[in-house]
Amino acid sequence: MSAERAHPNYVAIWIWLVVLMIAGVAASYLPLGKGAVVALIFFIAFTKAVLVAMNYMHLRFENALIYAIAIVPIVLVLAMTLILFPDFVFHR
Amino acid sequence: MKTPAATQAMITRLPPGKIGVWWFLASEVMVFGGLIGTYILTRLGSAGWSAEAAHLSAPMAAINTFILLTSSMTMVMAFAAVEKNNDRGLRTFLLLTIFLGLAFLGIKAYEYSSHLRAGFMPSTGSFWSFYYTMTGLHALHVLAGIIVNLILFVMARGPLVNGHRVELAGLYWHFVDVVWIFLFPLLYLT
Amino acid sequence: MTESAPGAAASAHATGLDHDEISFWRTYVFSTDHKMIARQYLFLGLFMALVGGFLAYAMRWQLAYPDTAVPGFGFVGPETYNVLVTMHGTTMVFFVAMPILLGAFGNFLIPLMIGARDMAFPRLNMLSFWTLAVASLILLSSFLVPGGAASAGWTGYAPLSARSIYTGVTWGLNLWILAHAVEFASFLMGGVNFLTTAITMRATGMSFFRLPLVIWQQLTAAILFLLSVGPLIAAAVMLLMDRIAGTSFFVASGGGDPLLWQHLFWFFGHPEVYVVLLPAVGLAAEVLPVFSRKPLFGYRWIIYSTIVVGILSFIVWAHHMFLSGMDPRLAMPFSITTILISVPFAILVFAMIATLWGGSIRFSVPMLFALGFVAMFIVGGLTGIFNGSAPANIQVHATYFIVGHFHYTLLSGLFFGGFAGIYFWFPKMFGRMMNETLGQVHFWTTMICFNATFFPMHLVGLGGMMRRIANPLQYEFLQSLQPINVFITISAIGLALSQLVFLVNVGWSLVAGRTAEQNPWQATTLEWATPSPPPHGNFDALPVVYRGPYEYSCPEVSEDWLPQDRVLVARSG
Repeated sequence: MSAERAHPNYVAIWIWLVVLMIAGVAASYLPLGKGAVVALIFFIAFTKAVLVAMNYMHLRFENALIYAIAIVPIVLVLAMTLILFPDFVFHR
Repeated sequence: MKTPAATQAMITRLPPGKIGVWWFLASEVMVFGGLIGTYILTRLGSAGWSAEAAHLSAPMAAINTFILLTSSMTMVMAFAAVEKNNDRGLRTFLLLTIFLGLAFLGIKAYEYSSHLRAGFMPSTGSFWSFYYTMTGLHALHVLAGIIVNLILFVMARGPLVNGHRVELAGLYWHFVDVVWIFLFPLLYLT
Repeated sequence: MTESAPGAAASAHATGLDHDEISFWRTYVFSTDHKMIARQYLFLGLFMALVGGFLAYAMRWQLAYPDTAVPGFGFVGPETYNVLVTMHGTTMVFFVAMPILLGAFGNFLIPLMIGARDMAFPRLNMLSFWTLAVASLILLSSFLVPGGAASAGWTGYAPLSARSIYTGVTWGLNLWILAHAVEFASFLMGGVNFLTTAITMRATGMSFFRLPLVIWQQLTAAILFLLSVGPLIAAAVMLLMDRIAGTSFFVASGGGDPLLWQHLFWFFGHPEVYVVLLPAVGLAAEVLPVFSRKPLFGYRWIIYSTIVVGILSFIVWAHHMFLSGMDPRLAMPFSITTILISVPFAILVFAMIATLWGGSIRFSVPMLFALGFVAMFIVGGLTGIFNGSAPANIQVHATYFIVGHFHYTLLSGLFFGGFAGIYFWFPKMFGRMMNETLGQVHFWTTMICFNATFFPMHLVGLGGMMRRIANPLQYEFLQSLQPINVFITISAIGLALSQLVFLVNVGWSLVAGRTAEQNPWQATTLEWATPSPPPHGNFDALPVVYRGPYEYSCPEVSEDWLPQDRVLVARSG
């Protein structure tokens, strides 16, 4: 525990998260193509997740080891999903 | 002699508890990642899912998202209270987090019961199978987080010797929040 | 501060008991001492090996003398045979190989070899063992429920496993899934503990490139397990939903896809092979230099190879599925990655052989088993290249060739690697030497019977015998292979009987074996710098490490070994 650590402004982050959440819901009503809406919604969700991970989970203050532990499984999941595309998506 | 790790943990800057929790979260990423990846694959590979998803209540899920995001904030405020040795603040924010978690589960349970009454069972179709499995597994994680926070709350009535545990429990709680951040658009918004 | 998960806070008073009087229960049953937990894992694994071995015996009897009553078991029909196949595989992989190779050796060696007093989370460690014990009980209890135990194969392929009407097994298969889930939870906790311990608790001077190799292999195995088991846990939840809530994740008629289960299973299943295999490689790699009196050849190359194996193991899984009906476009990339993964393994094997070159070899029992591992593993690796290339795989897929292959890889790891480890560290674990003569008998009978059992399996496999057939006599073209099947069965019974020699040796040595001195093998790693067995807390004073783990035939000292923690005044630079 390092008591002297600088904190992010937790309340400000929370306001950002709520704003992004509303933006995400609003985006689902936008009169755009389905693909664009989905891309926008998941871009917003990704931003929210990064905000939580960086500030609330203090990833901003961690060293390379913790980053590696956090990122490697995400890469693996993405790789697994992409490799399985031929079997479950392109088969139609 | 009595606490062997205390003398050795100095070698690396990171406390063992934090490394352990992050490894645990890495395995959890694979659990939810496997489930979400499977959902995306199955959904892209067949048609008609959006129509099924339209039966869900996006406003209710939005409220639930709001609750969970707020609970993440209160959880991290609890940790901030630990760092300031503010045991009263710690108890307040832990209790708030617990209540917000319970509220999330309550709304989820109401959603489930309304779906079930409308005749949407897990066996109704692929979308519903995934819906119940994904949100159910997530709800179990919320429940586990509530139990952990309750234990911390009971412990926080004594002296604050194990305050760093609040940070570790927080890491888990925020992870569960992040999972919901993705489940919300995956199931309700598309 | 040693903190386990927040939930394990109940026994806060436990720290006061550390060195004072410890009750019987806390010493032998609910111990937090990593050495006792390692012994518990070892004995649990050995007990489950008896169960798994008995199932194998019943299977082999049925294959040699179809539809005759198995002595000591009774009549085996096709349904029972499926149960035997399933439970033998599950027991051996998850409840024997993992507890012994990871649970026992990881727990015993990691703190001792890195110079720590215990694991990072001792109470979590205790919890992992008892979670595994519960999982074992669940698995064993599934034999007793109505409908019998799981019979969908150890891989639990859907849709066979997804609907109970296909197998007639109801609760047995649900318990089978539950046993897996609990077992995974146990090894997740164990893996977190291994990794955290090795990252945070290494002794002064013990850099990562001074760690004994077996630690590297254990850590790689732990990472592989942590990162690969998730999708299978997700799949197990889905399978349970299919069975209980009537969903159709893996049932085509309901809109699901049986192939999905295979992908998710093997995404875990192939790294799992290395989870079991790598620690065995590590055990052999520890034993070889000690009995060759030479530094291990290519220490860093072995580490790099291990890491490459770890990375590649995540992108080879579909080589189990060439005939599953998956997209043929996936076959070529997975063939290539599979052939690629043989390169780091070849480096491992060559490094181990080069370690022997020019050494002054002592053929003690641990060394014999380590050499046996290298030899047998080469056979398993070479047949793996057959299986890995899609065209050859199509010929041998789901035949006994595959059964022969994976017994040469996995069972060589468990038998030869594991026994090398047991004979080598038994003095450290229990403070007594094992009997050398009985050990020699055990090795040679095991070596002969192992090959006599599993080599002919390749032959009947090439002859077309299916992997899970209950009665080979029902096909005319298999009838000419029956003498080989009888031969395999007799050899397998011989293999089982030769393990009695081991059990006798363990029992006798525990009671009456010669008392072991601190460093009976003149080895260099840290666990030999403390009494046998090590006291609670492992070291009087925590060791300081000055050099790598394999300094044998070192010209700077009069003995031919230079322990990691010895100060050399002359060597100030």
